[in-house]
Amino acid sequence: MIEFSSLNKWFGALHVLSDISLSVAKGEVVVVCGPSGSGKSTLIRCVNGLEPFQKGKLIVDGTELGGSEASLRDLRMEVGFVFQQFNLYPHKTALENVTLAPVHVRKLSKAAAEERGRALLEKVGLADKMENYPHQLSGGQQQRVAIARSLAMQPKIMLFDEPTSALDPEMINEVLDVMVSLANEGMTMMVVTHEMGFARKVADRVMFMDRGAIVEIAAPETFFTTPKNDRTRDFLSKVLQH
Amino acid sequence: MFWMQLDRVMGYWPVLLKGISMTVSLSILSLMIGVMLGFAFGMIRAGRNRMLAQIVGLYVDFFRGTPFLLQVFIVFFILPEIGIELSAFASGVVALSNVAACFIGEIVASGIKAVPLGQSEAAASSGFTRVQQMRHIVLPQAVRIVTPALVGQFVLLIKDSSVVSAIGLLDLTRSGWVIVQSVPNGLLVFGIIGFSYFVICYPLIYLSRRMERRGQATIL
Amino acid sequence: MLGNLNTRVMLEYLPDIWQGFLATLMLSAAGFAGAMIIGIVACALSIQPLRWLRGPAVVYVDAIRATPLLAQLYFLYFGLPRLGILVPEMVIGVIALSLNSGAYVAEIIRSGILSIPRGQVEAGKSTGMTYLQRMRLIILPQAIRPTVSPLIGQAIVLIKDSSLLSLISVVELTRAGQMIAIDRFMPIEGLVATALAYLVLYYLLKLLAGVWVYQNRLPGRA
Repeated sequence: MIEFSSLNKWFGALHVLSDISLSVAKGEVVVVCGPSGSGKSTLIRCVNGLEPFQKGKLIVDGTELGGSEASLRDLRMEVGFVFQQFNLYPHKTALENVTLAPVHVRKLSKAAAEERGRALLEKVGLADKMENYPHQLSGGQQQRVAIARSLAMQPKIMLFDEPTSALDPEMINEVLDVMVSLANEGMTMMVVTHEMGFARKVADRVMFMDRGAIVEIAAPETFFTTPKNDRTRDFLSKVLQH
Repeated sequence: MFWMQLDRVMGYWPVLLKGISMTVSLSILSLMIGVMLGFAFGMIRAGRNRMLAQIVGLYVDFFRGTPFLLQVFIVFFILPEIGIELSAFASGVVALSNVAACFIGEIVASGIKAVPLGQSEAAASSGFTRVQQMRHIVLPQAVRIVTPALVGQFVLLIKDSSVVSAIGLLDLTRSGWVIVQSVPNGLLVFGIIGFSYFVICYPLIYLSRRMERRGQATIL
Repeated sequence: MLGNLNTRVMLEYLPDIWQGFLATLMLSAAGFAGAMIIGIVACALSIQPLRWLRGPAVVYVDAIRATPLLAQLYFLYFGLPRLGILVPEMVIGVIALSLNSGAYVAEIIRSGILSIPRGQVEAGKSTGMTYLQRMRLIILPQAIRPTVSPLIGQAIVLIKDSSLLSLISVVELTRAGQMIAIDRFMPIEGLVATALAYLVLYYLLKLLAGVWVYQNRLPGRA
């Protein structure tokens, strides 16, 4: 489904992604962790074409990135992205946030899009908040709307960029619960997060990145119990203490 | 003496009325053209094509950096030289809507830049084209941000319209100039003229201030 | 349009343009100095709690902001002689510019003062400072920083506004350009040369504002 081969990216002189090779299968859930500045966010932003890269190859759902605007757009319709800062549209209600892309990009009828939107908002537990504007919702509720917004495009792949980092602790679980049920339904997911409990529960593989490179990638049992690399051990000891 | 003069000034009410309607129609027409052109300028100025943005920037700078009176003369004297003959009214509308577009363009550009990048990223990641991102996501938010400033700009436009009296258009200011020739009491005549402007402009100033305050309240 | 510009005529009239340029500079400098004085006084009055001090300042600012400079100029030009005040047009012009920009200066300074968090005032009060001490030691030093750029912006507006003085026959830059345009039937040469002269001032002040903003970034802000 997602195929990185020797991908490299520089910000000026800074080598932010070095020689990334990774393959994510259909239905697989890969959790990416690592210290800040390790390149993990940049990595998944590449998958959705939000970041250009200079060297190597990235094939997502059979489409190679770096082609035309139009092919990128077709790809993005199949790949959902959930941001750390939610990025809900402040001038639209929760329901409008969810229906906007299906109507204008998928060219669904308004009625069909609303039907789908309502079902999705119900699914994420926000049946009573459809007509609310983002600023009337808590952080956790906003992030759930954002997830429903991505799902409304019926994507094959979902990308999450630290979806709970901007949330108050008491709201983290309501978002993680939605993500867990999504994983259980067989969605292909790449998730950048420090929520190791989530990784243990649903990840097929956990990946540790540092200084732009993949340091270690393994099934959760192995990753958490017998990490091979010192840097991974060091990182885990810091994260798991919390 | 005062009452007699007031009576005489009031005898000129048709001139005054004509002046007011000229000022209002000049301002509204120029506002409409200026807003349309200004939004186009703003989108180019905040857009991706750096070259085009800089060319428009240079053009905008020319009209932001020179006095409006001079611009009125340029439109009135220079356009005929290159074969464009305009009436005084049309010249006034061209000069006013052009200068309005230049100021509005910079306001709109700043509004577009004030919309967080995450907004267009979110739209892009659901497959919106650039034009769709601008139309559905960025522009509606930018408009909200810049509305108070746009209302303020309209006040400036109304006031600037007084300058076109210099090419002989009978606007509100010019009507004062005409009346004062036969009723030689400048304080009274231009007091009335000023009061008329105040009645037109102050509600807009008040509106702009209120919107600004309300805007701050929702941000905080 | 610029292709058939007669540069010889422009050079011939350069001394006139130069004189006009200097006149515009001096009128604007005088007008701005007056505007600063009037603006500071009006601002000081408008932040007083006493209504009879605040009222006139607020009325002044609103009246100026809601009326065009040209109407204000004519008000003084046709009105002052009526009060027995006979002064040269140039003086009337400077008074009008000062009164007009003074209102905007007052608003700029006011918003600078209001931008200072209440906590600053309270911190001053809690250490036993008087009103004047708080103003002098805490409020003003912080309030000046955000006002410099808008004040330079107002100076640009004032320079451009000074062109209206040509309508009451003060000889300055616009008038000089206009005379070339009319005397020699060379409107393009006269008006373009004048526009360029204004643009020099515009870009200089814009540059100044940019440099000031760059040099006075608050620590911690990129």
